[in-house]
Amino acid sequence: MSSLGIAFALLGAALAALLAGIGSAIGVGMAGEAAAGAITEEPGRFGKVLILQLLPGTQGIYGLLIAFITLTQIGIMGGSAEMSLAKGLLYFCACLPMGFVGLWSAIRQARASVASIGMFCKRPETFGKAIILPAMVETYAILALLISILSIFGIGGLNI
Amino acid sequence: MAVLPMKRLQLCALKKNRKAILELLQRRGAVEVQDTAEDEVFTHADMSQARSIFQKNAALANQALDVLARFAPEQKPLLSMLEGRQEMTLEEYTAFQDRQDETLKVAYRLQALDKRVAEQRSEIPRMQAQVEELTPWLELDVPMRHPGTHATDSFVGALPGEWTLEGIYTELKSRAESVSAVDIEIVSASREQTCLFVTATKSEAQQAEDALREMGFARPAHVTHRVPADKKRLLEERIEKLQAKIDADVAEIHSLAEHRQDLKLLFDFYAMREEKYGVIGKLMQSKRTFVLTGYIAARDIPALETELTAHFDVALDFFEPAPDEDVPVALKNGPLAAPVEGVVASYSLPGRGEVDPTSVMAVFYYVLFGMMLSDAGYGLIMVAACSFVLLKCKNIESGLKKSMQMFLYCGISTTFWGVMFGGFFGDAVGVIASTFFHSDLTFKALWFEPVNEPMRLLVFSFLLGIIHLFVGLGMKFYQLCREGKVKDAVYDVVFWYMLVGGAVVYLLTMQMITDMMGLSFTLSPTVGTVAAVVAGLGALGIIAFSGRDSRNPFKRLLKGLYGVYGVTSYLSDILSYSRLLALGLATGVIATVFNKMGTMLGGGVGGAILFTVVFLIGHTLNIGINLLGAYVHTNRLQFVEFFGKFYEGGGRGFSPFGAHTKYFKFKEEK
Repeated sequence: MSSLGIAFALLGAALAALLAGIGSAIGVGMAGEAAAGAITEEPGRFGKVLILQLLPGTQGIYGLLIAFITLTQIGIMGGSAEMSLAKGLLYFCACLPMGFVGLWSAIRQARASVASIGMFCKRPETFGKAIILPAMVETYAILALLISILSIFGIGGLNI
Repeated sequence: MAVLPMKRLQLCALKKNRKAILELLQRRGAVEVQDTAEDEVFTHADMSQARSIFQKNAALANQALDVLARFAPEQKPLLSMLEGRQEMTLEEYTAFQDRQDETLKVAYRLQALDKRVAEQRSEIPRMQAQVEELTPWLELDVPMRHPGTHATDSFVGALPGEWTLEGIYTELKSRAESVSAVDIEIVSASREQTCLFVTATKSEAQQAEDALREMGFARPAHVTHRVPADKKRLLEERIEKLQAKIDADVAEIHSLAEHRQDLKLLFDFYAMREEKYGVIGKLMQSKRTFVLTGYIAARDIPALETELTAHFDVALDFFEPAPDEDVPVALKNGPLAAPVEGVVASYSLPGRGEVDPTSVMAVFYYVLFGMMLSDAGYGLIMVAACSFVLLKCKNIESGLKKSMQMFLYCGISTTFWGVMFGGFFGDAVGVIASTFFHSDLTFKALWFEPVNEPMRLLVFSFLLGIIHLFVGLGMKFYQLCREGKVKDAVYDVVFWYMLVGGAVVYLLTMQMITDMMGLSFTLSPTVGTVAAVVAGLGALGIIAFSGRDSRNPFKRLLKGLYGVYGVTSYLSDILSYSRLLALGLATGVIATVFNKMGTMLGGGVGGAILFTVVFLIGHTLNIGINLLGAYVHTNRLQFVEFFGKFYEGGGRGFSPFGAHTKYFKFKEEK
């Protein structure tokens, strides 16, 4: 039974990387389509449009981050992989916020990014604002990241 | 820290000096010209026609430059994109005015050449296609459109697929038995088609062709009067000639590349004239005089006044703008704050009578940015890159220069926080030391390591957030007092200080909270009571006064209660600063991931090579992503949390009449 603990912990880490990664891939892809259109009209916009395209990409990185610290904490990256079932489930739960919020927020952020690219094309002087609107969505990904990080570090110290 | 004081300017002068005065104003770039209404004496001149000509010429110069860029690209050093516009003296500019017509001709010539080359280039593939079509007929030694003889008709065509002569005759016979006097010659045969030269008596020719048609016979699309081989030679000669012409034209374009500087100047020349004529259109003109009204920054007045009165007969008047006037806004800040002016401007410039928040914001900007990136290695890279650009490119445009300075200061702050939190390319020092040198050397945090004590950094982030928000509230207090609304300042600011401050202190007296935050102290219950009373008074004050605009007491109470509800927004504002921790950790942990990946082969030469490659790629990626993140989220904290407390903006930027050129700028005479 004790071998199930590590399995759940790894499942959690995998989900964080998976879901957040999928979200960011969809998001950056969507924004990339809009960006390509914007660059067709005016190649000089490349640098700034690229920034707008990259905004929904951070969730994938946060997912990677959560997955990685989980892997190091549970001993997959070297060390012993002994773990109780309860602890494994705790790690699993700790990874969920990043996975799910990462997935949805990346897609929603991408939609804001696409709209911002449109806005930037029509009124290039609004670039500062165009960056801020998608970044608002990212707040929730950051909050999820925070909770996931704090939980994972917290679980390490628990004695169950 | 200030919005530059602006004055209204009215300038009246003789029309004969109009050109010279406007050119002087344009070079100085200190006056924003205003559009004014016409009256019986003064009218506007319609300049739209002249302006459209200038626009057209500027576009022409641009096109010519584009042609040159395509055919004879300029060799540019790597850093040239950071370089600003070239400097130009007034003499050089005057000298150019004589060459202007000639340069315009060059521009026209370049445009024409480009068009011709494009046409000729499209001609060549067409002829090559014709040559291609002729290839199967090359064996034919009579003209393709053969006139026939007295008794016979001849025609050419192709059957699909590969045929033998016998096969054709047999097939023909079976389809048209009566046709007897037909001679068929196979010119060429391939798997796709068999090309035939058919001769028949005049009476049977039609019949023979019809029969062949049933077999799929078709005449070629282009039939020439010449022998195919001759025709091919002719076409090839034409292609060669065309190519020679193209080469000559391209060579001419290359030879015109020496005019590139002049063409750039031509573009600027027309852009400037266009701008100048736009201003002329706004002037009030009588028969012999004109009046210009606009805004000027007070500090520029003495210089402009002496210069104008020294050269011309002008009447200059300066007024204080009326309070309800839409005065344009220009900011003036010290060297540390000026670089973030652009950030303020990208939100909104200060509105009428508002304080310029730049200098207060600047301090927080650098601190918050540094905390989010918090890696000494990355900070040093930023410092090095920005100082390199600033030192190397003296001629850099002011906007770019400000951004570079901003990132330089952000880099310094990043380095500082990196040292505090023990981040130098993540944990690179420790990893390299233990993998390759077997020592336990590490880059020790001067304060503490966030990965080990995340709660501590979270509490610190909240503390920083509370300070940031309270400073924002303080700005509001200052702003209201400056406007003489001391009562409003107490109602809208002091009560909030009491409520939020009291609540925070009260929370610190609770054992549960301090335990959770890992604080070593718990405030005594007495302090708690005092804090609770202060917070309660603040809340009462807010209930009593935030609905003070309403006369109806019931409505006022409801509005007051709603006002207190606003405390939730303070809660979310403070929680929002947790991103300082999250982004700081993200930088460090991602860097650690890359370092760990690099050491997968262990020590030794192979390990060192892998480590170097992973290190370079990984940290470049990490720096890019986190720089973007830090920039975006620092802006957000400033725009939403900080500005939300006091700043409205809505000011109109000062856009003086000047030489808004693309390639050259006037050298200031000292």
